[in-house]
Amino acid sequence: MSSSVFSVLSKFVAEYRRSTPAKLKVVDAYLLYILLTGALQFFYCVLVGTFPFNSFLSGFISCVGAFVLGVCLRIQINPQNKSEFLSLSPERAFADFLFAHAILHLVVVNFIG
Amino acid sequence: MPCCKGQVLTYNGRQVCLHCVVLLALALGAQALTPSHHLSPADLDRLKAFLNQPFTDLESAYYSIVGLSKLGIAVSDEHAACQFLKSQLDPSNIDSLFFASEASQALSGCQIPLSNETRDLLLAAVSEDSTMSQIHRSVSTLSSLGLPVASQEVVSALTTRITKEDNVLAIILALQTASRLSQQAELGGILEEIEDLAARLDDLGGIYLQFEEGLEATAHFVTAAYALSDHVDIEPPLKEDQVVQLVNSVFSKKSWDSLSEAFSVASAAAAFSGNRFHIPVVVTSQGPAAVSHRQPMLQLQVTDILSQPLPSISVQVESAHAVASKSVVLSQAPFTLRDGIFELNFMDSQPASGYYQFAVAVTGDSRLVANHVEMKVKVSTEVAINNMDLSVVDKDQSIGTKTTRVEYPSKAKTSFTADSHQNFAMSFQLVDVNTGVELTPHQTFVRLHNQKTGQEVVFVAEPDSKNVYKFELDTAERKSEFDSISGTYALYLIVGDATLENPILWNVADVVLKFLDEEIPSVIQPKNLYVPKPEIKHLFRDPEKKPPTVVSNTFTALVLSPLLLLFILWIKLGANISNFSFTPSCILFHLGHAAMLGLMYVYWTQLNMFQTLKYLAIIGSLTFLAGNRMLAQKAVKRYRPGC
Repeated sequence: MSSSVFSVLSKFVAEYRRSTPAKLKVVDAYLLYILLTGALQFFYCVLVGTFPFNSFLSGFISCVGAFVLGVCLRIQINPQNKSEFLSLSPERAFADFLFAHAILHLVVVNFIG
Repeated sequence: MPCCKGQVLTYNGRQVCLHCVVLLALALGAQALTPSHHLSPADLDRLKAFLNQPFTDLESAYYSIVGLSKLGIAVSDEHAACQFLKSQLDPSNIDSLFFASEASQALSGCQIPLSNETRDLLLAAVSEDSTMSQIHRSVSTLSSLGLPVASQEVVSALTTRITKEDNVLAIILALQTASRLSQQAELGGILEEIEDLAARLDDLGGIYLQFEEGLEATAHFVTAAYALSDHVDIEPPLKEDQVVQLVNSVFSKKSWDSLSEAFSVASAAAAFSGNRFHIPVVVTSQGPAAVSHRQPMLQLQVTDILSQPLPSISVQVESAHAVASKSVVLSQAPFTLRDGIFELNFMDSQPASGYYQFAVAVTGDSRLVANHVEMKVKVSTEVAINNMDLSVVDKDQSIGTKTTRVEYPSKAKTSFTADSHQNFAMSFQLVDVNTGVELTPHQTFVRLHNQKTGQEVVFVAEPDSKNVYKFELDTAERKSEFDSISGTYALYLIVGDATLENPILWNVADVVLKFLDEEIPSVIQPKNLYVPKPEIKHLFRDPEKKPPTVVSNTFTALVLSPLLLLFILWIKLGANISNFSFTPSCILFHLGHAAMLGLMYVYWTQLNMFQTLKYLAIIGSLTFLAGNRMLAQKAVKRYRPGC
């Protein structure tokens, strides 16, 4: 059983390496970074406690929000999805990404205390 | 009591009693209202003195002369008054004529000179165009001067004026005017106004009934209503309770602001004591309503509003019952009249001491109003102390008790000693001196007073089932009350009650108390209740426990580590900035974006939201413009890779 899982995984990784354009891989790396940061924050909170709660929340929400925005960007610039985003150019997607991040940062810094 | 107390209607010549059954039922259940205010002899003297002021003008002369005549006395100098009236008279003025003529009627042998012009002036005033006051004054003047009045014309003028001047004072004047007209005239319409006015009275707490226009209006209404009712011999439509409430309103004020107010009260008082239909009765007791063996007569004064005796009346007690036991002591007992005071020897019925509720009825005149009165009578007595026995009892009952009898009011010859093994006991009986019945007064206290230290302790003596009072002092048990201070205590017995005429304070004996654990007798200090209490220091909430700095620093480093991983991955993937074009918009965009991130940091450390938003707007718009240009250029480059 485990061998089949392992073989599926290795096939998936190979396929990913081969067919994904470089740009998307860059964004994926960014997403992985965000994920790890969020997980570590959560782990710290579980370990030590929720004091100060507002700081934990703002940090965690920042990671979650950034991850979501990153995923949106990835979807929008994926050439395979071009049919769904006919009017949306990658530049426009990036501009939206930056604008949304500006608002996210404003809220996060307000709440971080 | 006469049956027809309520409204009496004539129907085909027969008199039918209405509301008789209802009233009977009400009388059995409800308590009738009685006047709470009237003119006592002192009030009457004050009113007479107030009215007897020296005249300043014709109006004040009118109030004084006519007011005093209504109260039954004459002005001090009638001749001078008459001269004053004649000198002040202005024959061309209706008001002046009114005051002078009415006042001259009240004086004996005073005639106001008449002339044809005067008469014509007065007759001309009787018309629909004159005010109600003018009509009233001219008709009254004509009537008191003995001149003929066209009654029907007056009635029609009054009716018109009532509808035009629909206010209380005008209608009252109409009633007064109608009472001066001939009895053959059609006065029914005006008579109905009494009922309408009565409906306009304000009921205050069920005790007062008055017009919002004030005391004068209410008093004038009473005078006018009874004047007209007497004139046409028809009972005014006022219920008994309403009459009593009107009495309360008119006579509640005992000092009057103006002559006109005093005059209105005097007129109302005369109306209440002299009309043909309702005579309110005032029943007051002579002094406090209390009887005893020394003063066995219950004395009542029964008068009218002016504190004058009512002729040919009889007063009797319908029933008298004890308040505590509700047993009827007296029923249908008449009072005897002696020197204007109604007396009843209540002690003949040998009542026990206490309070009794009397229901007194005044009969003899069908006009009497509020003639059923409820009053509370107190029967007092004197108390005697019998069989006062003092003894010192040993606790284990091994030694026989020695009982000493003490007679009131002497003191026991020897003092009693009681230590912790003994109890001091006292027993006595309280009896009524006159009847020998045992009494249980409200206050039976035993007071022990230490002469040296000034300390006193008070106990209550309780009666047992046979009404014998017993008091026991257990020295061991009660030592806390005495603060364990041994010594000689003077023993007093205190007996008191509202129905006792001789309250008792009796120094019975001296008692020497010996307590164990005797403390040094000190002067009794008042307990220190009012010293400052220890200060309370405010405790701030403990800050929450934070993890040690090592842990947080470790985790800070740990959280920043994925950034390193990101850069490594990016380098591995071949992400580079080789395509960086040094166009101004590109540089500006990157600078602006960096500035925005820097602004976030500054916001965290220093700024508030408003300032941040201001800067963000500026930087953001610049970045947006630059970025827009830059991305457009990038897009163009993408579409046309050659350029």
